[in-house]
Amino acid sequence: MAATPRDAVIIGGNRIPFARAHGAYANASNQDMLTSALKGLVARFGLQGEQLGAVAAGAVLKHSKNFNLVRESALGTPLDPRTPAYDVQMACATGTEAIGSLANKIKLGQVDSAIGGGVDSISDAPIVVSDALRAILMEATRAKSTGQRLRALAKIRPGHLAPRAPGTGEPRTGLSMGEHMAITADKWGITRQEQDELAVASHRNLAAAYQDGFFDDLISPFNGLSADNNMRADSSLEKLTKLSPVFGKDLGANATMTAANSTPLTDGASAVLLGSEEWADAHDLPKLANFVDYEHSAVDFVDGAEGLLMAPTYAAARMLQRNGLTFEDFEYFEIHEAFASTVLAQMKAWESEDFCRTTLGLDRPLGSIDRSRLNVNGSSLAAGHPFAATGGRIVATLAKLLHGKPGKLGFISVCAAGGQGITAIIEGR
Amino acid sequence: MNDPIPIPLPKLGRLYRKAALNAVRSRLSSGGSLKALPDRPLLTEHPGITEEQAEQYRLLLEGEPFDGTHRQALPSVLLHIAGFPVQMALLSRSDFPLPLVGMVHLSNQVTHHHPVPARTPVQILARVENFAPHRRGTQVDLVLEMYPAGIDIQQTGSADLLYTSTSCYLGLGTYLYAKTESTSGPREEFTPPQKTGLWTLGADVGRRYASISGDFNPLHLSGLAGKALGQKGAIVHGMYLAARMLEGREPEGAGHRWSISFEAPVTLPGKVAFCAAPGVNKTQHFVGWNPRTGRRHFTGELNIP
Repeated sequence: MAATPRDAVIIGGNRIPFARAHGAYANASNQDMLTSALKGLVARFGLQGEQLGAVAAGAVLKHSKNFNLVRESALGTPLDPRTPAYDVQMACATGTEAIGSLANKIKLGQVDSAIGGGVDSISDAPIVVSDALRAILMEATRAKSTGQRLRALAKIRPGHLAPRAPGTGEPRTGLSMGEHMAITADKWGITRQEQDELAVASHRNLAAAYQDGFFDDLISPFNGLSADNNMRADSSLEKLTKLSPVFGKDLGANATMTAANSTPLTDGASAVLLGSEEWADAHDLPKLANFVDYEHSAVDFVDGAEGLLMAPTYAAARMLQRNGLTFEDFEYFEIHEAFASTVLAQMKAWESEDFCRTTLGLDRPLGSIDRSRLNVNGSSLAAGHPFAATGGRIVATLAKLLHGKPGKLGFISVCAAGGQGITAIIEGR
Repeated sequence: MNDPIPIPLPKLGRLYRKAALNAVRSRLSSGGSLKALPDRPLLTEHPGITEEQAEQYRLLLEGEPFDGTHRQALPSVLLHIAGFPVQMALLSRSDFPLPLVGMVHLSNQVTHHHPVPARTPVQILARVENFAPHRRGTQVDLVLEMYPAGIDIQQTGSADLLYTSTSCYLGLGTYLYAKTESTSGPREEFTPPQKTGLWTLGADVGRRYASISGDFNPLHLSGLAGKALGQKGAIVHGMYLAARMLEGREPEGAGHRWSISFEAPVTLPGKVAFCAAPGVNKTQHFVGWNPRTGRRHFTGELNIP
């Protein structure tokens, strides 16, 4: 693997349970949730009064009043107020990007300790006024006389007053993420059965992990919730096959994506503590795993040259080549389940001789991924996916899975809006 | 070319009032004849599209801003908008044989030879040609040509031509030729391709495009007017669809050619499924259809040099 000046160690994580939108966290703000996740992390690792190198996190949907969301959240914790904090945003890759860039700072010796994470709320999404109304209000603000102000305000029409909520559509295509994914799923021939099986496995794996107490030191209760409330331990293929497709309905019989094999909109927050080996030792903290490397990619999706959520396939190819690794070298795979078909399409692409040679420019396919090593403790279909919080959930889960397995590797893939993707490598210790 | 008739830049409101009067008159007289066709083009000086118009256009299309550095060439459809009043003036002349109300835009072909920035005065020449029978009336080509201001277009060569647009219109129900049985075969089967985009058009798209283009044809403004004119409701301007199709795809240096053929009109508010597919020889192919019924709204293509 690529040599770095020193290791970036994953010490541990904390998140609040993820909640289906407009449910348990309907009255919680992004700042409330992120502060809670950070406080839980601080409490778990005794960081009260500690001055860390940096806190980096973000939210995909953010109110303009939260211009300094992460700094404000950090100030609400017992951390030393002299700990710098900043916001990161890369759609659903936000959390992984925050953690990856902090790991790089640690490797370079710029900081010795850091917290990375993310938060998102659908229930408290920023609803704004229309562009036309905002233009009129701004004109009124710039007015120098009462007359000018009144003339500006007189332009307001009833149609201007309708509030605008953020949509899930890609701005440049007008298609929702689900519609984009339906096109890709159809192209790669992903079946309904495969998707439903993946969804059932996600719920069962997550439920089993809760049962085993795996999340006991990864989750702190919040607002009366102590486990992800989207989880259906009794999920079954029989139940899932009854559902009607919700995306790609114009594909007719080839419409395969349902509410069960697509991730629900969710509220939640997560945080991961990172440090140098020396810092962890000096503070007598556990060293679960190393954050080895990560990679971004973006694809040309606007006129359909590539699928919106296929960017991680490209990132993975570059990242594995750089590190001289193949899929056979990995113990666990965490592929974010934006939709079941996202995971399946990425895996099919990595298995495809043609795609890997022609499109990714590799000598041979990256190979198939053993299902028994994939999302072994559940993923977004079961846990939910509060956009920016998913990276922190995955990194903490995978680091704990690899703890006690020195040298064993874990692979992360997260797709993101705008045709982007992020992949990462974690090594157990 | 016959000597053009110089006219001041026409006012569209006046032309629409005249069209309404003509519509009443044509009820009485049942249209014109092929004997006296407008054989002289109209020529007008246009002060140029304003920056405000360009900004309104790009807000409607949600495109990149005309910042005067990286984007200053006006999109083809804005140039068409500049020439539209001249086309209308030609159509409302008493020697034009088809009634303006009832004209249906069938297709449009544009060669955009040179870039034209905002606030650039141009000369616009409009003429009609190619009257031809159509199974539902009579079709005709309206040709717009744009030249730089200040040159004598009678003396100039094609190198000065900035932009040419040929709009094919159908005078619905006016038969200037002997009525013939349909020569075209059964309607071509259309199987929608995989969509690459979905346009959600609000009820106000017709009014917003009208306020930018000056094309206040009531057909586009309100559901009631649309229904009164035989549609299911207000329908979107054909050139709005062309604008959406081209937005973000036209080269800043111009030199491109594009075309669009209109089929089933798009009722507002509504959704249009859209597919942009790469073709050979730098030509992109487009198609828009109703995502619910699968009826095709338009096909188009863009060739970039």
